Amino acid sequence: MKIGLFIPCYINAVYPEVGVASYKLLKSLGLDVDYPLDQTCCGQPMANAGFEHESLGLAVRMEELFSKYDYVVGPSASCVAFVKENHPGILEKAGHVCMNSKKIYDICEFLHDVVKVKELKAEFPHKVSIHNSCHGVRELHLSSPSERNIPYYSKLRDLLSLVRGIEIFEPKRIDECCGFGGMFAVEEPEVSVCMGQDKVKDHMSTGAEYITGADSSCLMHMEGVIKRDNLPVKTIHIVEILASGL
Amino acid sequence: MSSKNDILSAIRSHTGKRYNMPDLTLDAIVYEDKIAQFSDALQAAGGKAVLLQPGEDVNDIIRQHFPDAARIASNLPDITCATFNPDDLADPRELNNTDLAIVEGHFGVAENGAVWITRQVKHKALYFISNSLVMLIDREAIVNNMHEAYKRTEGMTYDFGAFISGPSKTADIEQALVFGAHGPVGVLVILK
Amino acid sequence: MSTKHSKAAARFIANRKQEAWHDETLWMVRAKRDKMSHSIPEWERLRELASDIKLYSNSHLDTLLEEFEKNALANGAIVHWAKNAAEHNAIVQEILRQHDAHTLIKSKSMLTEECGMNEFLQEQGYDIIESDLGERILQWMHLHPSHIVMPAIHIKRQEVGEMMERVLGTEKGNSDPTYLTHAVRKNMREKFLTADVAMTGANFAVASTGEIVVCTNEGNADMGTSFPKVHIATFGMEKIVPSREALGVFTRLLARSGTGQPVTSYTSHYCKPKEGGEFHIIIVDNGRSDILARPDHIRMLNCIRCGECMNTCPVYRRTGGYSYTYFIPGPVGINLGMLKDPVKYSDNVSACSLCLSCSNVCPVKIDLGEQIYRWRQDLDRIGKASTEKKIMSGGMKFLMERPKLFNTALRFAPLVNKMPRFMIYNGLNAWGKGRELPTFAKQSFNDMWKNNKIK
Repeated sequence: MKIGLFIPCYINAVYPEVGVASYKLLKSLGLDVDYPLDQTCCGQPMANAGFEHESLGLAVRMEELFSKYDYVVGPSASCVAFVKENHPGILEKAGHVCMNSKKIYDICEFLHDVVKVKELKAEFPHKVSIHNSCHGVRELHLSSPSERNIPYYSKLRDLLSLVRGIEIFEPKRIDECCGFGGMFAVEEPEVSVCMGQDKVKDHMSTGAEYITGADSSCLMHMEGVIKRDNLPVKTIHIVEILASGL
Repeated sequence: MSSKNDILSAIRSHTGKRYNMPDLTLDAIVYEDKIAQFSDALQAAGGKAVLLQPGEDVNDIIRQHFPDAARIASNLPDITCATFNPDDLADPRELNNTDLAIVEGHFGVAENGAVWITRQVKHKALYFISNSLVMLIDREAIVNNMHEAYKRTEGMTYDFGAFISGPSKTADIEQALVFGAHGPVGVLVILK
Repeated sequence: MSTKHSKAAARFIANRKQEAWHDETLWMVRAKRDKMSHSIPEWERLRELASDIKLYSNSHLDTLLEEFEKNALANGAIVHWAKNAAEHNAIVQEILRQHDAHTLIKSKSMLTEECGMNEFLQEQGYDIIESDLGERILQWMHLHPSHIVMPAIHIKRQEVGEMMERVLGTEKGNSDPTYLTHAVRKNMREKFLTADVAMTGANFAVASTGEIVVCTNEGNADMGTSFPKVHIATFGMEKIVPSREALGVFTRLLARSGTGQPVTSYTSHYCKPKEGGEFHIIIVDNGRSDILARPDHIRMLNCIRCGECMNTCPVYRRTGGYSYTYFIPGPVGINLGMLKDPVKYSDNVSACSLCLSCSNVCPVKIDLGEQIYRWRQDLDRIGKASTEKKIMSGGMKFLMERPKLFNTALRFAPLVNKMPRFMIYNGLNAWGKGRELPTFAKQSFNDMWKNNKIK
């Protein structure tokens, strides 16, 4: 199976190390993974702001970039969810059929459900608090949404449990939004900041040294709050933990 | 009549896909000990259930629970502790300042501690105006859940019916729970 | 790019202590709801059934409403139909006039709020008395509800105490909720006994029996209807349920979702007029039949007004009901406002981070968050898109569609890291409010890959 690595725009620009860890992790599991060059963005920022039609060109471009792969795998639950849930409708309006939506996976989902990893070489002797991101939970079903009466599960916890030395926690409001929300963060800045501060506080109350999750966008938002308020906690993308030591 | 016709024709012209009525069968919750569950649910709602023991008199139980009640209303022949028959009053307003009302319910609902009553007294006000309310039901007459409850109301005719679960309550000031917002401050259900 | 909501939200949050209390208190209600829903193994099946029943009933309103009317008439009720708020209010006024009534005692109804009925009747000289404690407090304070189930949730006990000192002559400085509630109980008892006409809303109207069902915890609807000869019940037509069997699904969901109780204290079924009295039922459209023509938004008619989408909404909890411009706030209000008048109420569409908690909590499975996303796509067409947002979005599109330009931009981006602080964090930078900007990497992933740095 050929895997095309999907690296969203802000990971490309701000957190390339998350992309590197993703590549190394997949490689280390003996998978055939490649990076189709010159990726930019899936179009979610424009669509969430109310300009879905502006995402069309990007959706078409993504279809072309990934046409030769069996799987599209990316380290960003929100972007993956956007491709999976929204690209089909956007493309349909222009007469295209979306192929990516059926083969795209968040990297955690992919490792958990497709590769079914049972062991990792990783070691991370730290306390981490899982950030259950909205789109990861409620669109990609990476964990059981707290609103639903279904048995608890967490694909992120399952994967982190394979890491030696790690202690795993979750905040009290287990999947409350961190307040990023794309353009929401700048259109409703006071609310967004308030949500971010509350969320970081909730993570810190677990005693964790790190906040980790499958969405760099949420982590980026919380990192902004942490740096501004000089808080004694760090953010780290989950693949960086899973790929530690590689 | 023209508003009705306008509304109905707007509905008809705007209704698109007509969905089918779903099959309502479902595996709803049932309890091993319905009486215990009913009592717990009623207690959580701020009320209390007591099981009448063999040889006990309902009137004694009522007096024990409401020793200070002076004005006690009931139209039930067995309730000898009643001080007046509310059906003798011409105007429901005369029921004001009733300390205690004793009425009969049809059945209880285990999942939420509610008792189904239909108006069996002259003035519906009786169920709400007294300071405390006692409802008598048969201990065998407890259903598991609201699905069973509504099934049981089939064929009953009434002008007014209600599921009453515990006393009147409110949390409108800072979400602080207060009993006796307008209606009874206390509710006792006696399981005969 | 600020909206009326974002500005009002900023004012609410400025009082961080009150905001934190509001957030935590409503979160507690959400937690109570979670506990309740988890105690029912068939919860998710109930939600599905509720949603499916509503899809059925709302796509058969014509037949169900006629069936309801037929049965209500057989029960001896008088049925009125109101196309809009004006007709609704006129019907109520006419009933009051016929009975030479002056005082109307009413239980809580978001529909009368929607119709502006109280103001209308008060202008005509009628005395309208709200009997729900929260609504009564608001009426005394000349305010409107900030939540559809907990209308006075934004008001502190001290404010209530001070108001009641003036209105009811309660003890100075006493703001104990039990004391204040019982002071109102005493005052209201007199009002219940002397009102001329009683009015209630309806949580449900049962087509197969012609009865209406009113759910309260206070018993105020029941007290209100116990003394006057005339009872007026009004409901929006989507409140129809086919049968009592179907009703069982909703009475199990409503209070569990709304307040975290297994059922409200009173679930009252009003079937027939009292002896020598009149029972008027008003069926109200007021825009609801228009929603039927909107397949993308038709599920809004599923709503049973439990209010749980507000309690779960991280934005509502932190901004309060008054930060929204429609009289119903929160996720449900954002959507209903847009259906009512998209140009007038578009400012609420920003009040959503698209976390989708509302869609998952909703007992009748309305896709509330997804619908807000769809409304955002309409803003540009109706001329309500923010110019700044449009420019930002257009700029991103331009950049992202040009990989070479994107890569070049990323090569220069680290320069931003070195910009003087005052240039980055100023009034123009909304991100800079409370957050540091992310630091651009020295080399982007694209460049690292090209330079063969990733192995």
